[in-house]
Parts: sequence; C-alpha cells; structure tokens
Amino acid sequence: MNSFVAGYIPLFDLYCLHVGLALSQYIVLRVGVFSLATAAFAGIGAYTAGILAVDLGMHPVIGVIAGTATGMAAAIFLSIPLARLRGVYQAIATVAFIQICLSLNIYSENLTGGAMGLNNIPKTVGTLTLFIFAALATYLIWSLEKGRIGRAFNTIRQDEAVAASLGISIRKHQMLAFAISGALAGLFGGLEAYHSYAIDPKQFGFHLLITILSYVIFGGRNSVIGPLVGAAFLIILPELARPLAENRMVIYGIMLILVINYMPKGVADTAIDALKARKLKARGAASS
Amino acid sequence: MTALQLTNLSKSFGGVIASEAVNIEVPAGKIIGLIGPNGAGKTTIVNLITGMLPVSGGTIHVGETDITHAPAHEICRAGLARTFQNTRLLSEASVLDNVMIGLHRHETSSTFAALLGLPSAGRETQELRTQSMELLDRFGLTEFADYPAGGLSYGHQRKVEMARAVATDPDFILLDEPIAGMNDVESDALADIFRGVAKDGKGVLLIEHNVRFVAKLCSYVYVLDSGRLISEGAPDHVLNEPLVISAYLGGDDA
Repeated sequence: MNSFVAGYIPLFDLYCLHVGLALSQYIVLRVGVFSLATAAFAGIGAYTAGILAVDLGMHPVIGVIAGTATGMAAAIFLSIPLARLRGVYQAIATVAFIQICLSLNIYSENLTGGAMGLNNIPKTVGTLTLFIFAALATYLIWSLEKGRIGRAFNTIRQDEAVAASLGISIRKHQMLAFAISGALAGLFGGLEAYHSYAIDPKQFGFHLLITILSYVIFGGRNSVIGPLVGAAFLIILPELARPLAENRMVIYGIMLILVINYMPKGVADTAIDALKARKLKARGAASS
Repeated sequence: MTALQLTNLSKSFGGVIASEAVNIEVPAGKIIGLIGPNGAGKTTIVNLITGMLPVSGGTIHVGETDITHAPAHEICRAGLARTFQNTRLLSEASVLDNVMIGLHRHETSSTFAALLGLPSAGRETQELRTQSMELLDRFGLTEFADYPAGGLSYGHQRKVEMARAVATDPDFILLDEPIAGMNDVESDALADIFRGVAKDGKGVLLIEHNVRFVAKLCSYVYVLDSGRLISEGAPDHVLNEPLVISAYLGGDDA
C-alpha cells in the first residue's frame, strides 16, 4: 500500500504546483484580461529563486519571497501597456512577452546558465510545503472571489461600460489582478525551482502556457473550483490510462475538444450551474 | 440648490458638429426631459456626460464638482448614475448580484481585508446583501433575486437596471431611452418608479423620443435637433411650438 501511495506522490507534487499556476491564469481571465503571461512570470520567479540559492547561497525562504516579488513586479510592469489592449491582442502581446523572457534567459548565459539551465539547486521544498502553498493560494482566491473585489472583477469581465458607470475603476482592478497573478506565478515558479534540482528555459515556454490555460478552460473560468478540477482531470486521467501513456498528448487533446464543444463553460462551472438551476426549479415547483 | 449643469457643451467629430453650445440644467428633485428626433444628438449628450466621449468644449458640473474631463468611473463617484439604452445587465449573474454591484462605491472594507477574507469583509458583504434585498423589495423584484438576470423579461430587466442605478445612491440619474420597446402597462410602472426617485430628492434627466411619455412625466423639457437646442420650457408649451413640430414631422410643409 505504501509503495502504491509513494508512486503517486510526484504526481501530487505536480498537481500542487500546477494548481498555483492555474489560479494565476484564472485570476486574470476572471477580470476579463486575456493574458497568457503566467508562464513567463513563473520563469522569472523560478530563476530569481534559483539564482539566489545557487550563486549567492541564500536561504530558500528569502529565495521564494524574492521570486514572488519579482513575478509580481514583472506583472505590474506588464499591466501598464496591456491596459491599452483588449482581447486577442492582449494574448498576442503576452505570448510575445514569454518569448522575450525566454530569449533574454538564453542570452544571459552568465547569470542563468543559458540553454543548459540552472543546475544543482538544493532541494528544500517537499510535498507538504507544496500542499500548504497550494491550499493558501486557493484560500486567497476563494476569499477574494466572494467579496468586494470578486464582484468588481465579475462586472468588469462581463461589461466594462457598466463597471465604469457604477464607479468601478477598470485599470485599478486589472492591475490588482495582474499583481496577484504575477505573485502567484512567481511563488510557484520559485517553489518549483527548489523542488526539482534543476530548471531550464524551455520549461517556462509555450508548452507550459498551453498546459496551464487548458486547466482553466477544462475546469471552468467562473469559480475557484474550476482550475482545481481542471488540473486534477488533466493530470490524473492521462496517468490512469497508463497503457496509452505514449499518447498522452492525444488524450489531452481529445478531452479538451470534447469539453470545449459540449461544456464550453468548463466541467466545474457547468456542474455548478446545473445544481443552481435544479435548486431554483425545485423552489419554483414548491411555491407554485 | 445643487444641479446637474451642462454649460455650452460642444462636441464635433472632425468637421461634423454633433452638439453645439448645449445648456441644460437638471435641478435636484425634478424630472427633466431631453427629446429630439433620431440623429438629433441625444446619445452624444449622454456619452459626453458619462465620460464615454471626450468633450470638445464647455463644461459639465454635478453640484460643485466639475466632471467635464473626469474618467467614467469617477463620474459615478461624483453622484451621477445612468441606465443604458439597451439594458446592460450582467446576464450570467443573479438579480441580487446585479443590484449588489451597484453598491460598490459605498464599500469601505480595505483591499487587504477583502483579499484575505477577513471578517470585516464578510460582514460588509452580508450588509450589502440586506440592503440589496430591501431595494429589490422596493422594486417588486424579491421573488427573482436568485434567478440569472439574463432570463428575466424585458420589463423586469429594466427594473433591475433601475434598481442597480438607484443602489449607487446618486444625486442625479440619467435615463437613456428607458421605455424603448415597452408596452403601456410596463412603462406606467416605470414612470411610478421615476416619480418616486425624484420625490427622494434626486434629479432625473430623461432622454426619450416617446413624446407622450415625456409630456406626462417631466416638469421641463429640452428639445434637441441637429445638435442644437431648438426649444425649452414646460411640455405643453414646447410640444406645440412650430419649430419642434417641424423637427419631428420633417419640413415646413408637413
């Protein structure tokens, strides 16, 4: 039994890391910004943390804090030009940002190790730490969602003109969402660096972007459960279908296509909506 | 006495003049009408007041506050609310949530408290919920509170939008064609609501092209044509003016 559990621990670690990144992606979509920059922020956080530990021998706590701060700073910086763009143009700009980070990373070989990546990072982060941070991140997003900020985010996403007419500052809230997104991505990037001994530039490129975005699209974009469910499905299901492990990406693709077509709101949101509708219907039947 | 005051308001798009030296005053507690045929520039005036379009000349004041060049979200904070020509509710959200968001400008819990889900933020949410339910009750919408706003009938959606505007607790409300596409029963119900709002001491600027509705409701009417005010005064007086009649019916020989 123990060995059975132990076999799945790396998977659980991956899940915790990716939940953090999925929440980072989720929070910007929530406020109506089509930013895909989470992968870049995660890279910035990971490299900051990694370099501090390897080159300067800093304590991991300082490394993780620095990773979070640099991820957040990069996000706030990026939010300024992005405020002038909308929709797919934001997506293009942020993909470009990921490419810029990737290139800078490869060119500054002295600092980052270039294409070889950064190696020999002391492993200081275990499963428990990852789980605690994933839980904290989930709590943060959940509490934000049910309060004043969540309501403002919802309004901006659905109709910016209405939001402005009700006194909600669009720029301020989008910048806040960006700051949270960048901080979360930087944090989990830093944790990843301290968890996996080595990081390389490609890890934070286009492939990560697609993976993270799929979690949110698969799970749902309107409630915090969405990214949790999406990450769980997309990490665990291909694993259960071990005999097809070679074709992991094929399964991934098929699942995404099915969900996008039949549950465009995502698995979790569709389920939540169905429950709500059922409750209303039951009440309507009771009162009539 | 405070008023919503447009002074010499002008707007031109390149060479095209959309509004020229428009002077309108909406005193508190009154319903003022702004009418005009299609293309007269009513919507331009709305967009200028609400900060959707930059003003070319003249000033807009809410009471003492100059909002001529204020960004859209600060205009609401100055005490001016609006409804939209085509109702714009958050259709995915419940009716209750739609009204609650109108109370946004009165929320005081800090960003930090909201982020961490501290008790103060939770209490505030509860308070807003209570206030919103009271408003829904006033507008006769209590039974729809939990339904998605997009599923309501057109008349009810208008009411929800009105409740949301009132929720911001403005000094002035701008109504952009509020009864377009409504039957008489629905529009009469809305008229009662508008009168109630004015009775509470709020100034209402009603932009409409249903002349009958305006005449019934407003104490003072401005008539706009080709971006200029061509007449103003009590409804009975204004609607009998030859200039107004010809603007609506087209040409001198009509």
